[in-house]
Amino acid sequence: MPTILEVADVPALARGYELLGSGGGGTTSIYELNARTSTQWPRPVFAVDELDPATPVVAIGMAGSAFLLTERIPGEAPFADLISAAHRWTGTPPGAVCSIEAAGVNGLAGLSLAPELSFVDADLMGRALPRMDQFSVFVDRLPGLVIACGSGAGGVVVMETSRPEDVEQVMRTAVVAAGGVSGVLAAGFCVADLAEHAVVGTNMRALELGRAFLRHRDASWATLAEQLGGVLLGSGQVRQIEQDASDPLSSTIEIDGDDGCVCRIVARSESLAFMKDGVVVAASPEVIVMVEQVSRRILQVDELSRLADVAVISLAGPAWWSQRPHRIARVRPSAYGLDGLDPVAVPPASPSRIAEDPDD
Amino acid sequence: MTERDARSPQSPLRGSAGREPSRAGVASRLDLAALIAGPDNGGLRLVSGDGTVTWTGMRMAIAETGLPTVRVGAVAILMSPPPTASWQQDALIRRVSDKGYSVLALPETALLTESALRLAARLGLAVVHVDSPVQLALTCWQLEEGRDALTLSYVRKVAQSIKYRATSLLDLLRHLSSSVGHGLALVDPFGALIEVGGTLPPEVHAAIDFSTWLDIVSLPAGGAASVEVHSGRDNLRIAFFGPRLSPAQLAALGVAAEVAMPAVAARFLIDEVNDVSDTAISSGLLRDFLEQHGNPDPDLEQRMLDRGWRMSGHHLAFRCVGRGRVDNLHLLTLVVRELANHPVESHATTSGRGITGWLTFPGPPSPASVEAHVAALRALHTAVRRSANIATGLGTVEVGGSGLATSVARAVEACRLAANRSSTGWFVRTDTLGIEQLMLSWASSDTFIPMARSLLAPLVDAGPDLLSTLAAYLDHESAIAATAQELGLHRNTVTARIARAQDLLALDLDDPETRIAVHLACRVLRAANAAE
Repeated sequence: MPTILEVADVPALARGYELLGSGGGGTTSIYELNARTSTQWPRPVFAVDELDPATPVVAIGMAGSAFLLTERIPGEAPFADLISAAHRWTGTPPGAVCSIEAAGVNGLAGLSLAPELSFVDADLMGRALPRMDQFSVFVDRLPGLVIACGSGAGGVVVMETSRPEDVEQVMRTAVVAAGGVSGVLAAGFCVADLAEHAVVGTNMRALELGRAFLRHRDASWATLAEQLGGVLLGSGQVRQIEQDASDPLSSTIEIDGDDGCVCRIVARSESLAFMKDGVVVAASPEVIVMVEQVSRRILQVDELSRLADVAVISLAGPAWWSQRPHRIARVRPSAYGLDGLDPVAVPPASPSRIAEDPDD
Repeated sequence: MTERDARSPQSPLRGSAGREPSRAGVASRLDLAALIAGPDNGGLRLVSGDGTVTWTGMRMAIAETGLPTVRVGAVAILMSPPPTASWQQDALIRRVSDKGYSVLALPETALLTESALRLAARLGLAVVHVDSPVQLALTCWQLEEGRDALTLSYVRKVAQSIKYRATSLLDLLRHLSSSVGHGLALVDPFGALIEVGGTLPPEVHAAIDFSTWLDIVSLPAGGAASVEVHSGRDNLRIAFFGPRLSPAQLAALGVAAEVAMPAVAARFLIDEVNDVSDTAISSGLLRDFLEQHGNPDPDLEQRMLDRGWRMSGHHLAFRCVGRGRVDNLHLLTLVVRELANHPVESHATTSGRGITGWLTFPGPPSPASVEAHVAALRALHTAVRRSANIATGLGTVEVGGSGLATSVARAVEACRLAANRSSTGWFVRTDTLGIEQLMLSWASSDTFIPMARSLLAPLVDAGPDLLSTLAAYLDHESAIAATAQELGLHRNTVTARIARAQDLLALDLDDPETRIAVHLACRVLRAANAAE
């Protein structure tokens, strides 16, 4: 039986998606307001094993500047062009829809952008990630993948490839041509593929996290971290925010820990690593969340300011990324060109599937 | 999910105070302040941290990955400038600190962010800027070598002393002590066995730890650096000592003691072996002498003279025998040690089951001086009895070689008597006026004992009590009451037993001659029974 999401669940969902944004993914406030008045509620959410495995699926979401996303709200059915383009190319109409990224703005957006299709609780990231070449289906190099992106003024770019690098390069260009933000759709796989090659259950996880956050939002940091099932990495005042001299997209946020420790968050569009007294204690794909002391707002990386009092909490990253070495190589800090921040040991791959590393 | 780094941040404020120096390592720490103030330090400048921190050594590498882990605070000198990313700097500082260093020196410290320096301060790592890391490394090495200069000079002196062929352990220790210029003692847990070049203060001796290889003691009363001596004997140490020794001196003396120890141990063992073989020789010499009844042939006399045993003069011999199991060599050591306290020519050696020794006087000693010597020998007996259960007998003062033999023979007899003489503390001196003693020793011959046995056989056959009661009665000069008291019997019991004994023996004890003979027989029989 599918889980039915009601409009009353929107605040919790929004908080949960923000948490899974790991400091990125965009603030959801506009979308929350929009979602409350839209007509697609109640929205049934199907688990992967609740649909016919052969059902073709499309993954949808917005790509580009999160900032622009909050300025320009997409219409209610913007994906019709992309869906029909994918249908023309693949020859099969989609039977279900899921998010490309069940985190940040794309979490709520994914629930509302193709209301005529059944929504499957799976996504291609499991948390906020910056690039299209990090879609799980591309990382696992599924054959026959199709990706479509709006290029502005009703134009659509369709690409068929299994090489992640090409996806990012070509589709980024389309997004830029579309004005900096555009819809993105991935097709060419079915519900059965989601079980192995996508992150399953992220939307329900967001709902649980959001509910826990709302219940314990004003509790002590330790209690809040515990109730979220995470770890309190540290709390204190932001002393300084520096752009990295060699990498303009990277920033380092230095926090004076309440316990006297020297803490650092290394971030790009999302927070990627947390360092305490010179030792890395959390790193991507773990989710690293900053919460502001007084308002208890979940902060984006670019919302941090000097002298703000914050707590930093880590949540377990999606297990899917850790299950294979070729997957985790895409999301570790070194994948972003940051040396020396990767966790010390990579845990052994889970033996549940026999699928081999497609890169071999 | 992903592994967190297993290390957790160590407790803050882990400065140099948190690193415990070893006892011997205190002297070997160098001062960062001195390094900064000194010349030729490659343009050294303190950037952050405690400038008074001490360090024990220096390691140099191009980058942090090339640095080894060190046990006690050392200086890390890196040739590369710090990395640019602030979190890479954090990681560098943390890793250098975790590897055990107390100082980090590197070029271009201006690249270090303020927060990296704060982390360094928090971890107790001093950061210094250096323009020329190679020059700094050279200076550090020179300072480390200089600290060893005192040790080297002591070791050289010890080596020179060992070259010298010592005649005894004392000789060797004297040379070592005067060469090194400090007092030297051979100690065991009870005190100093030998000390030269000064006196080891008792408080310093009490503070020495006998369970470690090398021990340094530093007290207001004085200091000592001691090492175990591997000699086969437990708890033996040699210690260089002196008043007001600095930590550097004590550490250097510790090394000197380590270097000198094998020579001392070897000398100790050689001396022990020499003592044993020497004792065997002297014991044989005495035996030969006694066999020749005090009239040695010229060859024997020469051998005795070589040993310092002269025939001429007046001699007073003594003999000590163990009343149970006693190690003869150990006993000889005890006797010789006590004889050394008495200012007269003396000799002693092992003989049979005990020690035979004698005092030699150049001229006839006055009766008063004889009494003084006897008292001294009695004191010797008492002192030795603290360590061994012995009986001692003294001979008479006799002259010449034959006199020596006589005195020895009498000492032997007296010692035999002393073995049972608890009333005198197992000490008996031959008294020429003691007729009874003479008679008794004369009577303890092979013919008399069987005669005594047959004489008293009737008493023995009747039971053990009669003989002992009669013997006691005769000892107490026929006093019933005293006899009864000694034996714990009733007067009537004693009277009855004496009467019965007279009946059995069919002898009249009132006759003086009979009485003496019976008394003698009782004594001899008792001695003979005890000896069996």
